[in-house]
Amino acid sequence: MPVPEGGVALVTGGSRGIGKAIAERLAADGLTVVTLSRTSGDVQADVGDAESVAAAFAEVRAQHGPVLVLVNNAGESQDGLAIRMRTEQWESVIETNLNGAFHCIRQGLDDMLSARWGRIVNISSVVGERANPGQANYGAAKAGMLSLTRTIAREMGRKGITSNAVTPGVIETDMTVDVADKLKAGVPAGRIGQPEEVAHAVSFLCSDGAAYVNGATLAVDGGLGA
Amino acid sequence: MAVTENDVLEEIRDQLEAIKVPGAREATPDNTWSDLDVDSLDLVELVKALEDRFEITISDDDLKPIESVGNAIELTLRLVEAEEGAPA
Repeated sequence: MPVPEGGVALVTGGSRGIGKAIAERLAADGLTVVTLSRTSGDVQADVGDAESVAAAFAEVRAQHGPVLVLVNNAGESQDGLAIRMRTEQWESVIETNLNGAFHCIRQGLDDMLSARWGRIVNISSVVGERANPGQANYGAAKAGMLSLTRTIAREMGRKGITSNAVTPGVIETDMTVDVADKLKAGVPAGRIGQPEEVAHAVSFLCSDGAAYVNGATLAVDGGLGA
Repeated sequence: MAVTENDVLEEIRDQLEAIKVPGAREATPDNTWSDLDVDSLDLVELVKALEDRFEITISDDDLKPIESVGNAIELTLRLVEAEEGAPA
């Protein structure tokens, strides 16, 4: 079954990088796509703030329709060794990357449950499964997203709603522009990935063909996590 | 217009039907959730429907002792009455 009539796809952090590629890909698939980000995007919200997310979802519902496809892509990194990491660095990354995904899921499920159809795709990371020194906060948030993904899959599986995760490896974006060459060496594919390659995986998980794929983690990392 | 026991029962039957509970239309106040094979997630949907339809708020504490269709009807009527009795 395709996305029910009137349903929209919401991509958080959808105005640049991987999120932008996902938004473009889903639009090309024929979905009505709305992007959410802090300062740009179709609607603005701070995903780490539950009230801000609730207001943004109300706006999307009123102007575009119920959110039946949700891609939790909004994220930030504030790297540093744990021994030197400030509490604010830890909290900020957990708040945006992990709490943000929860707040959006919490809102999206209302719409999906009413429609008895939904697709949730959480953009985690290879570091959610394979630790990376300097990213205690980012890695913990991304690992948390994987557990969140699977819990929702179990809670909602009977209701036509799927919840899956994608774990990108090193992808060419503003976030990796300075370190890309250094990181490339450890990737079995011998190159860094493109945002469109992540978007392709997300597109699959949102498709009819993926109705029986639930609670899965799809690595798009050129073999880095293998 | 005052909400009757039958109004609430019909809403519950509609909702049970929507969540594909077998025999939803014949559900009676005596039926327990366990009789009807209604699980916790089904109950969340049912509560949401009752809240929307009768403009009430059902708290988690209210929900704890609710084990049957009859319990849900009593709770809904009690909350509707409290809502109507409250100052505007």
